[in-house]
Amino acid sequence: MPSAAEVKSLFRQFLRVGRKFPNYNIRHYIQRRSKDEFHSLAANTDAAAVEAAWQRAKSQLEVWQRQSVVYQLYGRKVKTVLELDQAAAARQHAG
Amino acid sequence: MALFRASEQLLASSARKAAPWLQSGIQILQRGLSAQAEPAEDEDSGAIEMKGIRLRGAPMYLDMQATTPMDPRVLDAMLPYMVDQFGNPHSRTHLYGWESENAVEKARQQVASLIGADPKEIIFTSGATESNNMAIKGVANFYKDKKRHIVTSQTEHKCVLDSARYLQQRGWDVTYLPVCSDGRIDLGQLADALRPDTALVSIMAVNNEIGVRQPLAEIGALCRERKVFFHTDAAQAVGKVPVDTSSTPIDLMSISGHKLYGPKGVGALYVRRRPRVRLEAQMSGGGQERGLRSGTVPTAAVVGLGAACEIAAQEMAADHAHICKLEQRLRDGIMGQLQGVVLNGPEDVVRHRYPGNVNLSFAYVEGESLIMGLKDIAVSSGSACTSASLEPSYVLRALGVEEDMAHTSIRYGIGRFTTEEEVDAAVAQTVSHVNKLREMSPLWEMVQEGIDLKTIQWSQH
Repeated sequence: MPSAAEVKSLFRQFLRVGRKFPNYNIRHYIQRRSKDEFHSLAANTDAAAVEAAWQRAKSQLEVWQRQSVVYQLYGRKVKTVLELDQAAAARQHAG
Repeated sequence: MALFRASEQLLASSARKAAPWLQSGIQILQRGLSAQAEPAEDEDSGAIEMKGIRLRGAPMYLDMQATTPMDPRVLDAMLPYMVDQFGNPHSRTHLYGWESENAVEKARQQVASLIGADPKEIIFTSGATESNNMAIKGVANFYKDKKRHIVTSQTEHKCVLDSARYLQQRGWDVTYLPVCSDGRIDLGQLADALRPDTALVSIMAVNNEIGVRQPLAEIGALCRERKVFFHTDAAQAVGKVPVDTSSTPIDLMSISGHKLYGPKGVGALYVRRRPRVRLEAQMSGGGQERGLRSGTVPTAAVVGLGAACEIAAQEMAADHAHICKLEQRLRDGIMGQLQGVVLNGPEDVVRHRYPGNVNLSFAYVEGESLIMGLKDIAVSSGSACTSASLEPSYVLRALGVEEDMAHTSIRYGIGRFTTEEEVDAAVAQTVSHVNKLREMSPLWEMVQEGIDLKTIQWSQH
């Protein structure tokens, strides 16, 4: 069974790989689902279930890492209108 | 990258020496070599220009009934079969065939377990259109000596209606059941429509335009009792709402890959083995898929469908909770800020409607202006198949929606990857655009003055 520190470190890696996706929707999906999954993992007391979830999460992380490269190579170069609006709002706020 | 640049230089230098016709050929080749996807995107200004419309960025995708983006986990499962593991799954004499066959059989297992079926009951096809054609024409043709009648509904997908039309032209009787104002069929009417020579009932599980869910268990029980086969087009349902063939008496069911975050060009047909359903193959050839669907099974696509089904099984509860929350937010947002908005289809998202499909009609605006004005969100007025035509949706007409309201319908599709921010932006855009159009509308002005438009006698020309 993983230690609390190991779980925390894996969770951080999920958030990090999520941020690497240039695709707005997938980036947000990974962040949202990782938070949900790790919250329920933290609340789980069944050792066997935690171990299974831990193993699944580790292989899942590799999938996201590989796919973040694919998305960086083949993703759309233009951002979504939502990201453009958010960037403009942030610039205005800073200025 | 360095290699790529070197080859580009080589091509360019040889092009200088070559004849002009060869030069243009090399330019095409260079374009083909680059990974730049269509449409051409201007990276400097960040704008996209296509079909004479200039977009400042990629629109937010809210058209999940037309197609869904592929889940990155699905692509990850597929890629090995597009690289080294390219074997023909029907090759029996070498490693390449064996590994592909194993992958196809694993995918069959994944699809089967999502719908509570046996893997032997899954036939891979090119998509739900092929599955629907195969089920309807296949069953009708197999039992044609004794049974010459089929029953379907008026709100089915075009490929079901067209298959029914095909049979009608060849001598079958077809009953097109009407639907209630919320889009559900009436079980009493279905029972009355069944005849001793009815071969098949085909009713879709979730409608692609209004998201209405038909009572599959009740329809199946009725069909089983009357010894009629029951086919359901579940392209919009499988992977999104629970569908279980072990507890529901469904005899044939069509599944689509690209509606559940899988690849396009692949689907499946569930064909029950006990009691056995027999059908005539629509494709002649090498006898793959138990002789029902000849043609080499596309390993990578099928692996993608299998992976999509497995992810759907894992994520269904989380997806459903997320989509329900966003649906509520979208409806409350638009209907709280605008008058004269009508939801097409049933309200009840627990039993009667798939929440990822919100079809709204806006009174007193012009449909085309509305949809063309919403440039920042990718939505549709109805099904993708008919979005090119200006005529109102036949599904909405079948519900009894007035022509003016059927013209101004917008279908918002919410899915696994939709965010709260996108929904908020869609609400804000829709509200501001509808208000802008209504300000210009004399009809809206009259409604504001309290005139009932139905009582007006328009002058005849």
